[in-house]
Amino acid sequence: MRSERIALGLVVVMMISLPLLVFGYQALRSNIPDMRVIDLVGYAPASGGWQPETIRVELGEWVRLRIYGQDVVHGLAVPALNIDVPEILPGHVEEVEFLANRAGRFPFACIRWCSTDHWRMRGMIEVVDPAQPNPWKAGTAEPPLFQQLHLDPDAMRTPVAGLPGRPSASRGSALTVGLPGELHDQDWLRAHSPAETFARLRRDASLRPLSDTEIWDLVASAWQKETPAETLRQGQQLYARDCAACHGEAGQGDGPAGRDLPGIATMHPGMASGPTNFTVTANMFSASDALLQGKVLRGGMGTGMPEWGSLYSNEELWAVVSFLRTFGFDVSPAK
Amino acid sequence: MTSTRFDLTRIPVVKRIVTGRWLQWLAVTVALSFFFLAVLAGLFGTPAGNRNFGIVFVWIVWWALVIMLMVPFAGRLWCAVCPIPAPGEWLQRRALVQPRPGARLYTLGLKWPKWLNNMWFQNGAFLGVALFSAVILTTPFITGVVLALFVLVALGTSLLFERRTFCRYLCPVGGFIGLYSQVAPVEVRVKDRAVCVSHKDKSCYQGSEAGYGCPWLVFPGALQKNTYCGMCMECLKTCPLDNVAVYVRPFGADLQIDSGRRLDEAYKGFIMLTCALAYSVVLIGPWSILKETAFAVGTPAWFAYALTFLVANLALIPGMFYGCVRLAQKIGPTSTPTGKLLVEYAYALVPLGLAAWAAFSLSFILVNLSYAWPVLSDPFGWGWNLFGTAAWGWTPYGAGLVPSLQVPVLIAGLLAAMAYAVRTARVQRVTQWAALPIILFCTMFTVALLWLYIG
Repeated sequence: MRSERIALGLVVVMMISLPLLVFGYQALRSNIPDMRVIDLVGYAPASGGWQPETIRVELGEWVRLRIYGQDVVHGLAVPALNIDVPEILPGHVEEVEFLANRAGRFPFACIRWCSTDHWRMRGMIEVVDPAQPNPWKAGTAEPPLFQQLHLDPDAMRTPVAGLPGRPSASRGSALTVGLPGELHDQDWLRAHSPAETFARLRRDASLRPLSDTEIWDLVASAWQKETPAETLRQGQQLYARDCAACHGEAGQGDGPAGRDLPGIATMHPGMASGPTNFTVTANMFSASDALLQGKVLRGGMGTGMPEWGSLYSNEELWAVVSFLRTFGFDVSPAK
Repeated sequence: MTSTRFDLTRIPVVKRIVTGRWLQWLAVTVALSFFFLAVLAGLFGTPAGNRNFGIVFVWIVWWALVIMLMVPFAGRLWCAVCPIPAPGEWLQRRALVQPRPGARLYTLGLKWPKWLNNMWFQNGAFLGVALFSAVILTTPFITGVVLALFVLVALGTSLLFERRTFCRYLCPVGGFIGLYSQVAPVEVRVKDRAVCVSHKDKSCYQGSEAGYGCPWLVFPGALQKNTYCGMCMECLKTCPLDNVAVYVRPFGADLQIDSGRRLDEAYKGFIMLTCALAYSVVLIGPWSILKETAFAVGTPAWFAYALTFLVANLALIPGMFYGCVRLAQKIGPTSTPTGKLLVEYAYALVPLGLAAWAAFSLSFILVNLSYAWPVLSDPFGWGWNLFGTAAWGWTPYGAGLVPSLQVPVLIAGLLAAMAYAVRTARVQRVTQWAALPIILFCTMFTVALLWLYIG
């Protein structure tokens, strides 16, 4: 009977201790001194997206995010906290730490095309200052340029007619002519569409001998001079990460994730459905950078275009808009 | 009984192991702890199958052990250490290791209905599991639920029915292990039947102070095949005349015994053969639509898949085989009824099916075995690293070798099936050419698998 008791004891110990050890060890791993451990579980949006969607921490806390990939490959970016986890494989756990050193609401998003609804996979980290529990009331920041200019991102625009082809910045630079002062002003350029810039130059008496093609080249050249190469590189990276899946690598609106999106046809029946084709210069040249900023920032209101304003910094917004221009302007070096 | 057997219990250490109780109990308990961990991981761990202990250790490691090693080389050895019936059996006996002479068993002790005293229930249970296998094999939670259900059903069965009724009549896995263990070169048999005949107590079946009556409801004195012997070694402990032994014997010895062949076992052969082909087509074939359909449980497409699967298992393949048997009858007319002849020839599918399962398993076991290392360190996919192997990447072992292993395995299975078919014709006292349709059937099946595996 003694041996039976030993055997029974061993089995009972095994049956009880195994779950205790498993869940106890996991709990122990979460109990790190001076560190708040938060599990963030990533599912494709159709299965629930990020769980939890909102993470609340207190100002001054050290936080460790334990990010679980549960179904397909995801990625995580919290731009405002400089967190960038490019790849979270299913069944793998990635850990990142950050110090919640400023109060605010910091959006996070999946940065891998995990499914057709990938862009819905977003969440929010709220860093709360106990002394000032609600510091992020609207209206404290300067409104974006498109709002300052009272631009309506959804308004119909008239396509530009009579375009000579793809304007070349290098050909424009080679023309030895002086440009009006406002064309050296980045804010002016952002506020005006290429078509408006063209019209401004066409009105200039000193440029009258130039052909329309040469004027368009001057427009491209003026834009390039006010756009640092670094901005374009940054825009290219963001475009590849966040836009290319729908708008296509070459900006032709033919990305695989955008095939079934309604596009602008939702608001303007008769227009082509699907993501915008950035290489159609007749449309793109009628929109100012400020207008494009509004579209990127706010999203497409039912068109399938996500909003990026909560994720992008101002600099990133302008970088993406600048990169979009390269589909219309030829910015390759002179041959 | 062949004379080419060797009594392993003549080796003192083997004798001590099989007549002792502690080592087997320990093996069962260790298996039970792994099993318990697999259930916990399935229910609470990551849903990513390749990072979940439940999926990796049950469907890759355990399956590899059973189908590649245990069944072909040791028959029902797995049943001897299987943890599924252990809680029920311990509760039924109210003892874990040592028998309690005279103690009342904790069971209603009902007898399994006579009309179900066969493999039909196991055939149905296996088909039921097989229908949902695409989901079960890849979804940790479902695996956890299924494994837990196995234990619960085994426990309930042991409380209601006598001995190991679950293992003998219900376990979906036990059925095919039993069928294929006829090939294994190991058996538990009595040394001298005359001794059993003259022994009045029949303690191997009735039980004694030394142990329990055969849990598998088999009288060892009449045992001829491995099919229903669970290798629990209880009869070695209870026989007062030291008349039971564990023998090493030639491969496939049970197939040489021309009695006791049954339609339910023949159908087990058909089902296993069809499933091996169906799995190969659906899970590793080039038609992704089939795999997607197998996963889409509950959709109209899945119902069509399920219907096709069941018809193939229960009617198409058995029907084709029946046609071959009719042809065999035409070539070599015999007085044996067609149904009986079908059963006789169907045992050719035992080595063929085992080889098919081994070949099918080779296609994914070696390639996926490396998933075991990270899962050992992080069984729940929670970011642990217990043994420093959590980050070990996936490495397909011997991927290039797989076809060169599959081909000889399939050819060996085919040759054994052909030999069996020819032997059956001889036993039927008809021309050996009568076996030709059966041989053609087996050859076509093998060629189909070879095409799928090495195209």
